[in-house]
Amino acid sequence: MEWVLLKVHECSSPRRSLIAGAHLGAGLGLKAEHLDDILALPVGEETCTGNSLWFEVHTENYFVAGGPRLNYLRSIRENYDLSFHGVGGSLGYDHQSMPEHIQQVKALINEFQPALISEHAVWSRSGGAYFADLMPLPRTQDALQSLVEGIDRYQSGIGRRILIENPSNYLDFTSEMDEPQFLVEAAQRSGCGLLIDINNLYISSKNTGIDAAQYLSQIPAELVGEIHMAGHDPDPELGQALLIDSHAADIDGPVWALLEHALSLFGHRPVLIERDANIPPLAELMSERQTAQGYLDQCSGHTAVANGFQKEAR
Amino acid sequence: MALNPYIDAFADYLRTGDASGMNDFCVNVEHMKRLSVYRNGFYKGCVDALAANFPMCEKFVGSETFKRIACVYVDHFPPEQGTLVGYGQNFPGFLGDFIAASETQPETVKLSPALVDLARLDYAWLMSLMSADATQTLTAEKISWLVEGGHDFTQAVVKLNASVALLRVNPGTLNQWIGLKTKSGVAESIENSAVEGEFNSISELMREDSVLAVDTVMFWRVQGAVQARSLSAPEIALMATLQGEGGVLERAFDAALAIDPGFEVSDVFSACLQNEILEIDMAKYNYKH
Repeated sequence: MEWVLLKVHECSSPRRSLIAGAHLGAGLGLKAEHLDDILALPVGEETCTGNSLWFEVHTENYFVAGGPRLNYLRSIRENYDLSFHGVGGSLGYDHQSMPEHIQQVKALINEFQPALISEHAVWSRSGGAYFADLMPLPRTQDALQSLVEGIDRYQSGIGRRILIENPSNYLDFTSEMDEPQFLVEAAQRSGCGLLIDINNLYISSKNTGIDAAQYLSQIPAELVGEIHMAGHDPDPELGQALLIDSHAADIDGPVWALLEHALSLFGHRPVLIERDANIPPLAELMSERQTAQGYLDQCSGHTAVANGFQKEAR
Repeated sequence: MALNPYIDAFADYLRTGDASGMNDFCVNVEHMKRLSVYRNGFYKGCVDALAANFPMCEKFVGSETFKRIACVYVDHFPPEQGTLVGYGQNFPGFLGDFIAASETQPETVKLSPALVDLARLDYAWLMSLMSADATQTLTAEKISWLVEGGHDFTQAVVKLNASVALLRVNPGTLNQWIGLKTKSGVAESIENSAVEGEFNSISELMREDSVLAVDTVMFWRVQGAVQARSLSAPEIALMATLQGEGGVLERAFDAALAIDPGFEVSDVFSACLQNEILEIDMAKYNYKH
């Protein structure tokens, strides 16, 4: 995979020369509650400084034949880049029903041409049932092979490379390798990139005792195509002993600190602010988005990396 | 370690709550109870989706009762597709069975049979909202073009667009559903049994009971918003003729007039045009917009 180092302020054609989405700054998860407010926002001019606002959607929420949901997304797409974040692909297991799923993802990609496409390194389907959450894989060779096959099928089906996200861990399962090894190996064997969810990593470190900084140091920067940020909550019964990836609270201070560290290792990457419950007014999320943009601006004097995600999938 | 036994044990836990099969796969047995995060997430996702897809049902029975019913539904009908959009296709039928079963159990909360029709209305509304956009809408402009070209437009084959849904419910249920939706208050509960099934044929539509004892509801989407209204007997006949692959307009008009010779066909046809519910394949007339 070729690297091209560019000074950000020297970029002349960011869409072509940098990583897919390298022109993107901090983005927001798109919520229905905010659609009208977003459409009323003044549209910024295109820049090459990596500060463009963008929006991420859960791809499967748009598995509809028509209607206002798609029309709203079309309106957003007129002025902003999109990221498609899949939550139901079950890359880790049960790939038999994947073709129909991928067909719908591909149709959406063809229409909306998202800058980024991502999924999760988890399983969610078995025996004809969809378990509607992100279920953890054991970090074993057998699970790794299944995940790589799932990523291969997904990428081949949509004709684009994807990023896969690290899960939130609540307990440890029998494993043959640590998570960075597992994800990096999956990426290198399948050709996909990685989406590093900083909140997931923070939660995993608290819940299972891993060293978050050590974890990040094991991730090659060129594999990282996007970063997620979100809030978490203590478990109602176990309290701080078990942190839940709720996406229902403001982003915690230590998670911001971990973002700063990640950006120092990876360089400028699109950063997403996720919020899926207790959704505040758009202005509050824009404030968090501005904080994330501030961290990105800090590293904008450094370098940006090209890693070829725009190339066609194998 | 093979993946299949792990997935099987995990899936079994998610479906039944029995975590014993996971013993071999968890490093710290004291953390086993943390598995509940995943099971809770699965159920919460499904129940939240059902609440979103059946909002008037939730309002009617209250959030807590709805959650209890929804969890039982998830046990019986877990999602099969990798999305929760449209989840709950079997929910109305399940509610009918659930209510019938609860009647034999004295300790359980009694639910109104009207809940079944409310669920069917909720789901029909959702399907109309998410249906494919019309691409061949019959407009006044197209009719003028046909007339000017010497065509008799009443002989054209026209069909209802994909957003149109027709269903039969007990009289009063639509008003009750609208009352819940507009927060104008809840109408009195309806004690009749729910009316089963959607329309399959014109003969079914025109059954005497469907005209007299059953309310026929039509949903459709125009300008991104779903509309609903109760149909009269001639309107039912007209719409039924244009269902599916569609029919010749004149036959639809005749079907309505056969029910009521005084039926104002032109008024209803104009309303159909204004509400963009009719489609026509203009390619056969070499029409170019």
